[in-house]
Parts: sequence; C-alpha cells; structure tokens
Amino acid sequence: MVLKNNLKEFRQNKDYTQDDLGKSVGVSRQTIISIERYRYKPSLELAMKIARELNIKIEKLFYFA
Amino acid sequence: MTLSKKEISILIEITFSIIFTLIFLPFFYRNQETLFVISELMGKVIEIIIFVVIYFSIAYSLLEVIYKNKITEDERCDMINSKSYKLGYLLYEFSLFIFIGKLVNSSTHQNGEIIFLILALLLIVSIIKSTYHFYLHRTF
Repeated sequence: MVLKNNLKEFRQNKDYTQDDLGKSVGVSRQTIISIERYRYKPSLELAMKIARELNIKIEKLFYFA
Repeated sequence: MTLSKKEISILIEITFSIIFTLIFLPFFYRNQETLFVISELMGKVIEIIIFVVIYFSIAYSLLEVIYKNKITEDERCDMINSKSYKLGYLLYEFSLFIFIGKLVNSSTHQNGEIIFLILALLLIVSIIKSTYHFYLHRTF
C-alpha cells in the first residue's frame, strides 16, 4: 500500500498556488511540490493543517492505493 | 533547472570546501615539517581567516540580494538535515578509523602529517555530506 493524495487537484480547485498553500500552512513551496509528487509523506500535523486550509476531510485528501 | 535559496546556500558550502581543498590543502601537504613553527603557520592561518570572511560575506550578500524571500525551515528540511547529518556522522566515524589505522601502521609520525590527514579527512567528509544534503533537497 502506498500513501497517495489528491492535493494538487484540491489545491487547484481552491485557486491556491503551491507557494500560497505553503505559506498558509508554514512550509516551503518545495515541501508542497514533494507532497504532490508523492516523494515526501507529511506528518499528521501538517496533513491536518493542509486539510483544514483546503476545507476538506483528511481521508479525502490522503488515501492508500 | 531552478534552484531554491536553500539549495544555493548548500552549493555555497560545497564550493567553499572545494576551493579550500584546492587552494589551502596543498600548503599543508607541502609544509608538513614546518607546520608547528608558529611564525610559518600564523601567516597562513590569517590568510585562511580573511578568505573565509570575504568568501562568505560576498556569497551570502549576493544570495540575499538575488533571493529576497526568507528560507523556510520546515519538517521536510528537518528530515533532510537528519539524513545528511547521519551520513556525516557515519563518515566521521569511518575517517576516525582510517586516522587511527594510519597512526598505528606508520612507524614515524610527523605532527604536520597528522594535521594534514585530519584536515583532508574533514574536507572529504564535509564535501560528501553537503553533496548528499544537496541531492536530498533536489530529489525529496
């Protein structure tokens, strides 16, 4: 099982740039890029911050595939 | 290829280690017999200090001028730092074994030779660690 996410899709739906989202949750643009490319698995705290910022349930944002 | 401010700052460190190796290490190799003569060494030490101050002042000033935004240190940076420092720690341990092995096997030890060996090992480890740090920032 691999942890994947729909971050790019939900971020674009909310008209956030990678930089905007990074700043609003306190991480760099590179970290958002890495999460979107499944290269970096965020901590639970960061995942919940992103989900709250995008106003979406965490289980919809992150899933096992 | 666009590089972030953090990646450029790592490249500055790598470049420094390489320049130091090319410019100053040959001096320590050539003058192993006279390294403990304070008058001989002081000039070089002052030269190194001036070089370090000028190099980092210019490099980081240029970096601040080109990249206005602040470097954001987040959990990904912490993870990358811990991975590269772990490699650095293992390499330092390994180089300590090399150093002890050299001391045990060599019948005649010159103090200058020991200083050169320590400096060379530190620089090699520093270059490998920083390169791995840069690689992780690019690929993670």
